[in-house]
Amino acid sequence: MMHFPKTIDEAVALLSSTTELRAGGTDWLERHDLGLVRPELVELRDVAGLDGIEQVDEGLRIGSRVTLRALLSDPRTAAYPALRLAASTLATPQIRALATLGGSLLQRSRCWYYRSVEHRCLKSGGDRCFARTGDHLLHACFDLGPCVAPHPSTVGLALSTYDAHVEVVGVAGATTRSLAEIFGDGSDARDHRLADGELLSAVILPAPVLDERGGYFRATSRAAAEWPLVEVAVRLVLDSEVIRLARVALGGVAPIPLRVPRAEALLEGTRGDEAFAAAGAVAAEGASPLPMTRYKVAIIPGAVHEALTRALGGA
Amino acid sequence: MSTVEVQTTINGTPHALTVSGHTRAIDAIRGLGLTGTKLACGQGACGACTVLLDGVPVTACLTPATALEGRSVRTIEDLGRDGLHLVQRAFLAEDALQCGYCTPGFVTEAAAFVDAWRRGHPGITPDRATIAAALAGHLCRCGAYERIYAAVARACQGDLTSDAPRHDGPEKVTGRAAYTVDIQLPGMLEGRILRSPHAHAQILSLDDDAARVMPGVKAITRLTTASGLLRYHGQEILAVAAVDRETAERALASIVITYAVRPAAVGMDHARQPDAPVVYEAKGPRKHAPNTSEGPIFPRPWSGNVRGPFGLMSKKRKSARRAVADPANTTFTGTWHTQVQCHNALEPHAAVASWGDDGLTVYASTQAVTRLAKDIAERWKLPPERVRVLARYIGGGFGAKADLGPEVRAAIDLAKAAGAPVRVVLERRDELIVGGLRPAHEVRLAVASDSEGQLAGVTMEAFGDAGIAIGNVTSAVFRIMYHQAPKDLLDWDVTTHGPPGKPFRGPGGPPAVWALEGAIDGLAHARGEDPIAVRRRFDPSPVRKNLYDWAEALPVWQERGAVASDTGRHRRGIGLAAAGWFYFVHPASRVQVDVGPDGIVVSSATQDMGNGTRTALANAVSGVFGIAPHDIDVRIGDSRFVEGPMSSGSRTTSTVVPCAEDAATWLVERLVKRLVKRIGLVDARAVPGGVAHSGGVIAWPEVFGVVGALTRVGKRRRDRGGYFMPFAVDGLKVGKYLAGAVQVSDVEVDTWTGQVRVRETWTGIGAGRIVAPALARSQAEGGVIQGLSYALYEERRLDPTSGRVLTTSMDDYRIAGLGDIGPINVHFDESGFENARSRTIGLGELVTLAPAASIGNAVFHATGWRPLALPLRPDRVLAGLAEVTR
Repeated sequence: MMHFPKTIDEAVALLSSTTELRAGGTDWLERHDLGLVRPELVELRDVAGLDGIEQVDEGLRIGSRVTLRALLSDPRTAAYPALRLAASTLATPQIRALATLGGSLLQRSRCWYYRSVEHRCLKSGGDRCFARTGDHLLHACFDLGPCVAPHPSTVGLALSTYDAHVEVVGVAGATTRSLAEIFGDGSDARDHRLADGELLSAVILPAPVLDERGGYFRATSRAAAEWPLVEVAVRLVLDSEVIRLARVALGGVAPIPLRVPRAEALLEGTRGDEAFAAAGAVAAEGASPLPMTRYKVAIIPGAVHEALTRALGGA
Repeated sequence: MSTVEVQTTINGTPHALTVSGHTRAIDAIRGLGLTGTKLACGQGACGACTVLLDGVPVTACLTPATALEGRSVRTIEDLGRDGLHLVQRAFLAEDALQCGYCTPGFVTEAAAFVDAWRRGHPGITPDRATIAAALAGHLCRCGAYERIYAAVARACQGDLTSDAPRHDGPEKVTGRAAYTVDIQLPGMLEGRILRSPHAHAQILSLDDDAARVMPGVKAITRLTTASGLLRYHGQEILAVAAVDRETAERALASIVITYAVRPAAVGMDHARQPDAPVVYEAKGPRKHAPNTSEGPIFPRPWSGNVRGPFGLMSKKRKSARRAVADPANTTFTGTWHTQVQCHNALEPHAAVASWGDDGLTVYASTQAVTRLAKDIAERWKLPPERVRVLARYIGGGFGAKADLGPEVRAAIDLAKAAGAPVRVVLERRDELIVGGLRPAHEVRLAVASDSEGQLAGVTMEAFGDAGIAIGNVTSAVFRIMYHQAPKDLLDWDVTTHGPPGKPFRGPGGPPAVWALEGAIDGLAHARGEDPIAVRRRFDPSPVRKNLYDWAEALPVWQERGAVASDTGRHRRGIGLAAAGWFYFVHPASRVQVDVGPDGIVVSSATQDMGNGTRTALANAVSGVFGIAPHDIDVRIGDSRFVEGPMSSGSRTTSTVVPCAEDAATWLVERLVKRLVKRIGLVDARAVPGGVAHSGGVIAWPEVFGVVGALTRVGKRRRDRGGYFMPFAVDGLKVGKYLAGAVQVSDVEVDTWTGQVRVRETWTGIGAGRIVAPALARSQAEGGVIQGLSYALYEERRLDPTSGRVLTTSMDDYRIAGLGDIGPINVHFDESGFENARSRTIGLGELVTLAPAASIGNAVFHATGWRPLALPLRPDRVLAGLAEVTR
């Protein structure tokens, strides 16, 4: 069954516990093959009002159906270097041409148990996490809840450094929510906390800070096109050489994108790269690795250091 | 609504497509007969399905067909419509392809990149990093990356070349080459296979009543044995043929099976424990255990899951044992581990079977048309002349497509039952579970050198886990390397509840070389000697002697510093490994050469899976006639031709080139004689391009016209000095002469992230005369890349409890991409092998043996940590670094 609503309200009216929204469709097709999609499809293809990138009072509003390719080529996103660097590193050029901002934020886990036709886990209707007791080589080292799969959204990671908001439309109308509300705290096994009747219509970035710097680093085995073992997005605002604002977020290590306020506090007020190593060390503190993910804790300090170095180097 | 109409433009033509929500753009496009666009991974990782959507490259496997509404698609078929695109010409000239299955995707993306680059950066050549970033969404399993870099750079320069060293290159760069998955017969049904969800289970009941009466279902066939015992995840249970894939899938979903799930033996460590579940309880089933090697299975004793030992490759065992135990000797001891590597050819296993009045025709993605036709005739009890196997293009094999597989059995049985042609194509998930694998190995090894600095002994015990398969042999390579040294060599099989291993490019070789060359490197270090100096003394191989000279003279080797001299974040190391491989010949092979009004036609029932058989044949015959290779019509991939070799054991070139030269030489002589007889020439003799005489030169086409049609079947005459063994094993003779290789790797270890990056590679190869230089180079580079990929990334992983395969996608089963390889320098030493017929020795397997050990030795050189387990994952590297800095 599929529906082609023309407006956001029409789309929202169709939503229920048996429907699933589709924007770019890249992950929907893969999960369809695995038997992981809901029976009814609500196509966003013809819905008006999801493609815009516009300056608004709060900053920049980006429609949820804007593709990553479009986001990366729009001059207005140049003021958000951490977002651009992260978005240009994920997946492949062909996928970035199809994948949308909203889909990228709300994408489902890459855990190999979730994406197995034989396992039904906490995310796919089952009652246990197979990775926790099984093979969790690529999983979390901050154990925040029942599911140990790292959150897959690199864009979500980058947006968390901006304290971005999202616009959510439900039958009762549009609301604005923080990313933290969307991703939760990892205490449940959900990839996002949108309710069944809700549609993410846009992301709202705060007004850019003049001359802010961004950095992104992804630790992988291969050079490209690989999900991160550890990823780090950072923002730095410098006042002469002193760091006035620092934002640091870790990905690939927890069921949610993980902001590291202690590292940020440590960096703010320091000069140049003098506190980068310390910030990296602080970022790894409090990790609770699984038996096979201790190495991720070891990668975090260097990954944070590298992301900060890149941010400092790329004005 | 469950379907919707989509208005779209494809290659300039408007189409109205009726699609479902889950119809992928690739299905819609290929459904129109535009089969140049290939499906490989089905999840956007490999880029084989790349098309241009409104001019922008996208993966058609992840594009919903509904998204094509109002948009314009351009495929490979349109790209060269008005003459080849610059990129297509450059791919041909640089030979940036092997099997050709990923090529349409690469070419399509590269065309968009090159067009944009030339507009934005006229006169500038992009660097490797820029090209790698642009093509980051593409993977090539054959490993043509080095040539792809060259081709893209060349196209950006606007170089309008018309070279095409690969005979079937033009078909491949245009998407015209039809692979088995592209075959479409009238009334063809789709077959799907139901597989075991468990690693070890007994089928208690199976109810397929609903499937049998489902509209559109045409046949069901069982694939398990009568006992209903399932021994691995993915084991074939039954197959269904239906009018389309969806109906077949629905039918499979309707089948109700009850299982008694049993504990599985998962991995070697578990399977060797005394209380482990046993894979083969009885003698009977053991006899049917599949063979993971290309050699014969010798009877060996079993104890639980452990079978062996196989020790025939040993020599002077007692001396070997004494040498490693002697405290006066310098010894290096360790236990090396290697992982399971999946063949993962980009064209999946596929077969189309059709029963007709003239017998059974099977299109198959096979590397053995002759052998498969024989096996089919035997199994279905048909006269050989009533079985025809066709494999015109094969999208990679690497050893996994040499047998009569379940997809072929299913297609044939279903086609017979349904009375209609049936196609069976494996999904990528199936391919990564049961499509074939290189076994995991544990190698316990000690090497000792005596006071004179000679290799005094090698003791080795290897355990191979090929799942339910047996026949692991690493000792053969141990035997031929440093062959004068005393050796005590034992191979064991450990059966587990895992999918069966298959021969994989140099079976047993990479694990053996990983251990042996790591140990020799360790021994050199323990002796305080240069790794090349030690090998020169240990190694009597005349082929490798030249290669050591070459390696030693490389600036990168000359400038090599002490072990672990870098202390910063990034540590650079230079490592070397040597390898040797067998030289095989298939003496029953024939090549037919016809000359006549159609020109020169060369035919043989062999095949080209990207290894270059067509080109080797064309070059061999064109060399004798002195004409351009593209003027030769090469017909292979059809079992109806004279018997040809299967493409395995690096035997193809060493077999077909002498056959072809034999026939061509005979024909040239005969043509000259007949010409003289017919028209009376003075001083007639063959020259390049025709027959010269006192009055000028008569070109070959004219000669053929005068003389008329002539045919000759060339044979593979024996080598001078005979073979290593006087008899053939499975049709294969082992040559007396061994090929050799030496690889030097320059790596960088990131001590912060544990990432190992190969900066540059030098590979030296001694395999006699090179028949097709461009292709040989590409094959060597591909072998280096597959070895690099094995060393650093590839690893099949199992759930430790259930024994199910977890790495079922190309996101999780990772192979090297363009950005991972660094420049590769290939050096051929063509000297020697005077007694081998045509002086051609295979190199396809040889080139993939040394990379892992060479990289591992470079990591040791960079860090002082000796890696013993593959792959060199970041977690292992970080643990190793922690070890040496503690």
